[in-house]
Amino acid sequence: MADGGELGRTVRANVNGTEVSRYVANRSTLAQFLRDDLGLTGTKVSCELQVCGVCSVLVDGSPVSACTYLAVDIDGRKVETVEGLADGDTLHPLQQAFVEEFALQCGFCTPGFLMMSVALLRRNPDPSEEDVKEYLDGNICRCTGYRPIVEAVQLAATRMREDGHV
Amino acid sequence: MLGTFTVSRPTELGQALDLIGEESLAYWGGTELFLAMKMQLLMPGNLVDLKGIPQLREIRMSGDELVIGAGTTHDEIATDPGVRGAAGLLSSVTSRVGNSRVRAQGTIGGNLCFAEPRSDLATVLLALDAMVQLQSSSGERRLSITEFLLGPYWTAREPEELLVAVCVPIPAATGVYLKFQFTERPSVAVTAVVSDGGQPCRLAIGAVADVPALHTAESWDEFDAASIAAGIEPVPDLTGSVTYKRHLTEVLVKKAIAAVRAGERDG
Repeated sequence: MADGGELGRTVRANVNGTEVSRYVANRSTLAQFLRDDLGLTGTKVSCELQVCGVCSVLVDGSPVSACTYLAVDIDGRKVETVEGLADGDTLHPLQQAFVEEFALQCGFCTPGFLMMSVALLRRNPDPSEEDVKEYLDGNICRCTGYRPIVEAVQLAATRMREDGHV
Repeated sequence: MLGTFTVSRPTELGQALDLIGEESLAYWGGTELFLAMKMQLLMPGNLVDLKGIPQLREIRMSGDELVIGAGTTHDEIATDPGVRGAAGLLSSVTSRVGNSRVRAQGTIGGNLCFAEPRSDLATVLLALDAMVQLQSSSGERRLSITEFLLGPYWTAREPEELLVAVCVPIPAATGVYLKFQFTERPSVAVTAVVSDGGQPCRLAIGAVADVPALHTAESWDEFDAASIAAGIEPVPDLTGSVTYKRHLTEVLVKKAIAAVRAGERDG
């Protein structure tokens, strides 16, 4: 048991492949930490109630709403955000498919949809249309372009299965 | 915005029990607690992070019970082969709680302790005749779901007690769970199950009133959907008025009973 009485702690975490060590206040959310401390503003914040999905990131591979997750809880864990998806100038297959299928309009919800789709395809590399809809049910697009999003995820899934992409 | 607080990280259950109390609240995924803290409905001075206590996330068989550790997430319950085999309905319901992120972070213990009146788990666990196991540094006790849930956001748990496990009698009752939902939580949920022990026909109605209600009988013929719906006291909200929710309840009760009589089983 450690650090009772302190209002923050030093966290050591792997963020998109980079080891990070920072002092964080207990009250900081993961979204604040990513955006304000690390400058990773790809992760957006909207409803702050875990409903809209724009702040979705992965912690140890598991999807979380960064708006309602303590930054101190990433200590010793691996965090993945939208900034970590592309390999240099080569887009991740999901990003590429979103572009090709016009799966975005204003783009504000896109990082959240991408991270949830990454989580989905890791657990189910060949999702049916129904599987995609069910898993992404907690992500809201106010431009209402849902159909191309579902199609993009399925296109990416097909390509990733063919390429053996993980 | 969250207020200021300290965080304790016990690695053993005994340490956690010494720490929790009125001003020192346990958390796991925080999916309910942090929302309440953001709204300043709760302002604890200390949080006790339970994620470092492995025994709270065990799922095991013990005699004629399936014992699910309080720190097991909805997703872990939904995908556990043991739960799927022994209590398929519970597995199916947990796979449909909230959204994918809530299922990945939220736990069965947190869900029950928060006592959100629209909890899917409270409704299905009531139908399955589950018990909750509470522990404190001075002892432990077991309560039925009815004894545990006292009202909206209100349980029989004392501040120094921790809900450590949920126990489902095995063989678990089987049946269907129907809900009508447009937001993150259902407006009405109805589950109809057939049980081997006690009264064989069990109907639980949740999400619509302050606490879920259980009706049991020898035969499905004894249930009258209209009078059951008339007997509940729906909480009106943005998803419907009292009259509308009574109507929904009656429809779902009829559908659930018809489905279970036709042999349909979730999970």
